[in-house]
Amino acid sequence: MKRHILAIAIAATLLGLASCETAPESDAQLAQARSAIAQAEANPNVAKFAPTELDRARKLLVNAEGVAKQQGADDATAVHYAYLATQMARISEQRAQEQVATARIKASEAERKDILLSGRGNEVHQPLEDLQAAQTPRGIVLTLNDALFDSGKAQLKSGARRSIDEIAAFLGENPGRRVQVEAFTDSDGTNDYNLELSQSRADAVAMAIIKRGIDAQRVRALGYGEEFPVAGNTSDGSRQRNRRVEIIVSNGDDAIPGRAVPGQTLAGSP
Amino acid sequence: MITVNGIRNAIWCAIAFGIVACASTPMPVEKLAVARTSIERAEQAQASQFAQLELDGARSKYAAAQVAADKHDALIAARLADQADVDAQLAESTARAKQQEQRVNEMDADLRDLRSESLRNSVAGAQTAQPAVPIRQ
Repeated sequence: MKRHILAIAIAATLLGLASCETAPESDAQLAQARSAIAQAEANPNVAKFAPTELDRARKLLVNAEGVAKQQGADDATAVHYAYLATQMARISEQRAQEQVATARIKASEAERKDILLSGRGNEVHQPLEDLQAAQTPRGIVLTLNDALFDSGKAQLKSGARRSIDEIAAFLGENPGRRVQVEAFTDSDGTNDYNLELSQSRADAVAMAIIKRGIDAQRVRALGYGEEFPVAGNTSDGSRQRNRRVEIIVSNGDDAIPGRAVPGQTLAGSP
Repeated sequence: MITVNGIRNAIWCAIAFGIVACASTPMPVEKLAVARTSIERAEQAQASQFAQLELDGARSKYAAAQVAADKHDALIAARLADQADVDAQLAESTARAKQQEQRVNEMDADLRDLRSESLRNSVAGAQTAQPAVPIRQ
């Protein structure tokens, strides 16, 4: 009798040791849930378009981790919650992706309408000719002339759409690049007025790019007012050249250097 | 020392525990219904075409949940129903995302054609078109 009890005790101890030594199944599922959530968190569109789903995934993971930590808790429960967390994180990514695609479809539909409406006859389409690009140390600089806005206004004219479509499409194809929108005015009007107008214009262009499905964190808008003129402000023609929007597309995913250094101003600056 | 009383108490405890356990875990009828609805939504979103794997997972877990419910295994039935539900949601969202991506690609191709046609026309119409450096790589 005694011997039997001893044998059972030994078996139980061995079993206990064995179950301690092998990692519980929940470890692997928890790791998978964490990495699925980390992946969803790294995608800025998820925070923008599917925050509720991501939040649910996080809460499920907290649940799973709580259960896993409990002494003597059923490991299957932790595995279960970790699985739900994993799937929810994946759902958040898919929902965000669907939203991004939907935004792009809307932008494409608008552009398509625009092209069709503008006619395919011999009419001259301005926007593409207005878009000049130059490679500089700061990145690719695209200069858009003042035909984007009416005088004193910060609302984009419909003719600006195609240039912005082009830029947005480029950014869509190059997810590692950032863009900085810089707007400038001529020297007419007060400094404060020009600064505010240029900032509003830069914001309008940036907003238009973001609306085409580019993540807001990749787009920065700066209004410089009448600073950094490219021409002398002495004639109508030179003033027109100063009224412009420059779009700097980064060469990589580095931040775009600022403009404060005089050596970096454009040729033609006084 | 095991007494008759002790055994009797143990039996009462077991019965009481059994009743409590039964009362607190009814069959997860609602969870099963939720999973069923999610699977139907996924099917409507053409998941069988765009997210076959996820949809299959949802269906087999739903079937297993029903089997568990028939055997009055409420805990397993509830878990399987919950998992079938998230699998179906993933199937649906994946299918929707893929279909939208497909539409984006179609529209992009369509727009490229339209743009180049429109550009050709505008260049032909423009007297002094400045050469623009193409932004695309």
